[in-house]
Amino acid sequence: MRTGTRTLKYIVILLIILGLIIIVAASTGAVKISLKDTGLIMASRIPGINRYINTDLIDYQDIVIISQIRLPRIFLSIFVGMALAGAGVIFQGLFRNPMADPYVIGVSSGAALGATIGLVFVTGAGLLGVSTITVFALLGALGTTFLVYNISRIRGKVSVITLLLSGIALSAMLSAITYFIMILRTQDMAKIVFWVMGGFTSATWGNFNVLAPIVTVLIIISGFFMRDLNIISLGDERAVQLGVQTDRVKKILLILASLIAAVAVSMSGVIGFVGLITPHILRLLVGPDHKILYPTSVIAGGIFMLMSDTLARTVLMPREIPVGIITSIAGVPFFLYLLLKSKKQIF
Amino acid sequence: MAVDENIISVKNLNFSYGKKKILDDVSFNVGKGDFISILGPNGAGKSTIVNLISSILKDYEGRIEVGGRNLRRLNSKDVAKMMAVVPQYTDPGFSFTVAEMVMMGRNPYISRFGTERKEDYHAADEAMEKTKILTFANRKFSELSGGEKQRVIIAQALAQDSPILLLDEPTSHLDINFQIEFMNLFLDLNKREKKTIIGIFQDINLAIQNSQKIMLLKEGRIFSFGSVEDTINRENIKNVFGSDVFIGRNPVTGNLYVSPVFNTAIERDIIAQGANKCSRVHVIGGGGAASQVISLLHSSGYVISCGVINTLDSDLDTARMLEIPYAAEAPFSPISLDSQNKNFEFIKSSDAVILPAVEFGPGNFSNLLSVNKAIGLRKKVIIIDKENIRKRDHTDGKAEKLYGKMIKNGAIAVETINEVLKQLQ
Repeated sequence: MRTGTRTLKYIVILLIILGLIIIVAASTGAVKISLKDTGLIMASRIPGINRYINTDLIDYQDIVIISQIRLPRIFLSIFVGMALAGAGVIFQGLFRNPMADPYVIGVSSGAALGATIGLVFVTGAGLLGVSTITVFALLGALGTTFLVYNISRIRGKVSVITLLLSGIALSAMLSAITYFIMILRTQDMAKIVFWVMGGFTSATWGNFNVLAPIVTVLIIISGFFMRDLNIISLGDERAVQLGVQTDRVKKILLILASLIAAVAVSMSGVIGFVGLITPHILRLLVGPDHKILYPTSVIAGGIFMLMSDTLARTVLMPREIPVGIITSIAGVPFFLYLLLKSKKQIF
Repeated sequence: MAVDENIISVKNLNFSYGKKKILDDVSFNVGKGDFISILGPNGAGKSTIVNLISSILKDYEGRIEVGGRNLRRLNSKDVAKMMAVVPQYTDPGFSFTVAEMVMMGRNPYISRFGTERKEDYHAADEAMEKTKILTFANRKFSELSGGEKQRVIIAQALAQDSPILLLDEPTSHLDINFQIEFMNLFLDLNKREKKTIIGIFQDINLAIQNSQKIMLLKEGRIFSFGSVEDTINRENIKNVFGSDVFIGRNPVTGNLYVSPVFNTAIERDIIAQGANKCSRVHVIGGGGAASQVISLLHSSGYVISCGVINTLDSDLDTARMLEIPYAAEAPFSPISLDSQNKNFEFIKSSDAVILPAVEFGPGNFSNLLSVNKAIGLRKKVIIIDKENIRKRDHTDGKAEKLYGKMIKNGAIAVETINEVLKQLQ
């Protein structure tokens, strides 16, 4: 089967799964709402279809819960999951390294420090409906990316080793500063820790409306470089021989993936394992061809994050568990299971 | 050759890594359909030339034209359409299938926003057909053997459908069966599809058996560039590689072949002692009996002459190969007075005369007479394998008798060639 047809098949299957999980996720929570009502409420929000939907018989409170509380959270988690998985695929491909994840060059530490500064020192209403913390986290993530990238650029070329090393070094320093602030301001420590652990408790449409278009555009642009990413995995020189502008493509992908990761982490805090494991799981299922791997990983990342967040807010109701704990506890055994079952060489 | 026939033209190419100069003012042209091998020791700049032409390395001085266009102005896809490279090996970071690997060769033809078209699948299939890998197109590249992997890489390069093929030691880590298989494939591509091939081969003979032209590189400069006959000779090989070799002709194909000179430890000891009393040695030839001793003496540093041999004799080939002066006679005819005199001139200017196990008949009996005269001139005469002269004597005992007389007059009899070296000390 040709690549295009195969990709389309996988994407359709994954989107159907995602759609079903969205409905289930929206109906579950402290207030139980039937799947039928949930479906109707959601359909009533889709322009074009809403004309034919009658929600008069549904409790107004349910409509508010779904459309103002659950749906923004659901869609924010999906887009953050997509962003992390997409960035994970790109970083693993660029570094030819299975350990690479979206935070590999230090965006998470930068975002954490930014968020901490925002939390502790700045009082303000935020920007364009986005909270102050998010704005500062984004600045921290972008600043770190910029620094690491420029440190590793030697005569127009970006050295992967320098990139990894300077990322690790800078991360360590930024984390140290974050911890230092936490010690100085023990009264804010809980808030800082909770933000860093990551989650979607404060999700609003405001955040989503900023995140979604940026992530969508960046993910789609990156998608046009997947053939190059395949070839770059044969080595930089071989890629040149096969007609890839290796240096340029690597730079573009590095910047795009860093931006994607920065936006995601600033919205949700540091959620581990989604960006690392989703690409691996999909590589086992659909193979290493990035033209298929990338779009499927992106959707699967959204599914994975939505499922994890739904569990995070429901298993210990009314308490919430940080979603990062769920992604690790649920994701890692599944990944190990697939790894043992296939026994294929993925790298 | 007209200028427009050149598919690659390199002018005053200079390249350095930091302060170390790798290529020093290299200029050459490659004609359409040529098969050129670049030979030279490690570090001579062979791979650098290939990497510059395939635009992996860019910071060069000078000008490279490919298909009449300046390489600097071609974008990477255009370059990949013009030339494909077969590297020594490739290690993909992920376990792609064979078909996926080969399809990567079509990258220059597929737009960033497009997808593989019918012609791309066709070209990939054709490339897999040529390298006989269609049967395992769906297997994982990482699970293949070294030779199979290299077939896939060659198919990847062929899928590029380029008029130029650059081979960067494509077979040097493979068994001989793959070396032969791939060389035949490259020759086919050169002959049938008129692909221009520039190759780096570790094996000199593999290169000279198959190439039309040879480029000898030494320390970043072109030492010699031309036909195999013009470039491959003892002096050039000695100069470029610093190794002593024999150059002969393959009796079946008539092609040149290079074979290295290996000295045993004993020979090396003798050579190392140096300061030989006898430095000029004349060897009597005939029927191939002299070749072994000639080459041994030659590699031991003696100045040698040889005679009288007939022009069809293999001893003459040896003498020619080693560029040794000789006296020769037409085959099937007795030694003329001219040749006899020439031979004796050699003997007169020598310190010693060696008489190997030559068969003697009426036609070459005069050679023995010359040796006998050498004893009279107080030359050191060494006779090899005197014991079996009776078997080699076709002169009704005249030769055997003369052997006996020579021994009596002071000629030294030895049994093996190594003893000759000792006696010459």
